[in-house]
Amino acid sequence: MVVEEVKVPLRDVRRAIKEFYNPEEWHFITVNGVDLGGKVELKWFFTKYGEREHFKVVTAEASYNDEVPTITYLIPSAWISEWELADLFGLNVEGAKKGLFLDPESPQAPLRRG
Amino acid sequence: MGKRITVPFGSQHVALPEPVRFVFQTENERIVDVEVDVGYVHRGIEKACATKFKYMQVGYVVARVCGLCSISHTLGYVTAVERLISIEVPRRALYLRLLVSELDRIHSHLLAMGHTAEVAGYENLFMQTFRHRELVMEMLELLTGNRVQFDFACIGGVNRDLTPEVEKVLREKLKILEEKAQWLKDVYENDFSLNLRWKGIGVVTEEMAKEMNVVGPPARASGLKTDVRAEFDYLPFKEVGYRMVVLKGGSIYERNLVRALEILNSIEMCWNILDGLPEGEVKAPVKGLPEGEMFVRIEAPRGELFYYIRGSKKLILDRVRIRVPTFANIPVMKELFIGMDYADVPATVISFDPCLSCTAR
Repeated sequence: MVVEEVKVPLRDVRRAIKEFYNPEEWHFITVNGVDLGGKVELKWFFTKYGEREHFKVVTAEASYNDEVPTITYLIPSAWISEWELADLFGLNVEGAKKGLFLDPESPQAPLRRG
Repeated sequence: MGKRITVPFGSQHVALPEPVRFVFQTENERIVDVEVDVGYVHRGIEKACATKFKYMQVGYVVARVCGLCSISHTLGYVTAVERLISIEVPRRALYLRLLVSELDRIHSHLLAMGHTAEVAGYENLFMQTFRHRELVMEMLELLTGNRVQFDFACIGGVNRDLTPEVEKVLREKLKILEEKAQWLKDVYENDFSLNLRWKGIGVVTEEMAKEMNVVGPPARASGLKTDVRAEFDYLPFKEVGYRMVVLKGGSIYERNLVRALEILNSIEMCWNILDGLPEGEVKAPVKGLPEGEMFVRIEAPRGELFYYIRGSKKLILDRVRIRVPTFANIPVMKELFIGMDYADVPATVISFDPCLSCTAR
């Protein structure tokens, strides 16, 4: 498995993705969050069409109060992953609406630890 | 320009097998805007997998994410754990996993095709499709002990071996299924009414599929060459005659035809598995605790399924993330509706074979 991981500050995520992303070549899988206590590690996963087990991962950390930049300018389909982050981690994602996955009465930000 | 009308579609609707809600803004029959709500059945499975269940139990929990593709979920999880703690799975177990995985694909595809026939008003074809699907359900019950939500794969291998008695019955049923599947493919390909109803409706172009990162049969029906079975080595597909099915057109018709052709290829793979099943053990011992992170891709019947796990040498994992195919295809469905006639919505939605139980896991 080939994994090219790029670690960037949160504010540079969009620039880092713009540098390599071409929809003819790369398939956007999802953005994943892992709560680290007070902050969330975010990873944007991409895989290359037509190649075996070739991935690119862009990693950044966001504190609970940071605004996470949207990548929907580059990848229109990413909105659903971003809205899920907003619901399940309670993150403030640029342009994301809350309530797509969770009811207003359900526990908020359930994937935060502690 | 007509008066703008709001038309809700779901969460309960005769064309929907599961609760998703679209709210359409229409001008006369033409859709001009749409909002979507997928959160009717959120079950907190990811949270449960990282708080309540030990890593050896999680495979059985994720098998309940979806009734139809439980083997795909289990495979995604156990493959990630096996790679993380370096377990070599016996070849016989890999072949048995592949057998169940392809049988699962056949019954899931038949379900999607049957529902599409139903919303086209073709009740008879719907019933015929489901009747033949029953053969696969019986095979899965023989192999795994359950029709749906079976716990066949486990970390290190599989929980059940294939006995000669079961193999004999499988071969008999597979022979009947092959004949019926060929007949179904001919009907879905050539029926005059279905051609008129589906060709050119709900078209996803290849460019759109790439731009919106479409996965599974809807992507391949649009001419996009992507199938995790060819892109990620989680099972020995190359050894059993796997072929990628790609069509041009991108409409409801092609989405169903891709499924019909994939069913025939899956049956061929099942024959090859039964003919070339390696001898030996079906489970390897599991030692150690997961430490670090791993992610895998699986081709579930509906498309790319992504699993991410992270552990810190404890019995309970720090994170289990599941990205299901319907989740990936909802954005393109939303785009597709703009400009479409409302009358084409039910068939278009069903042709994507949406699974909300997966999406809101």
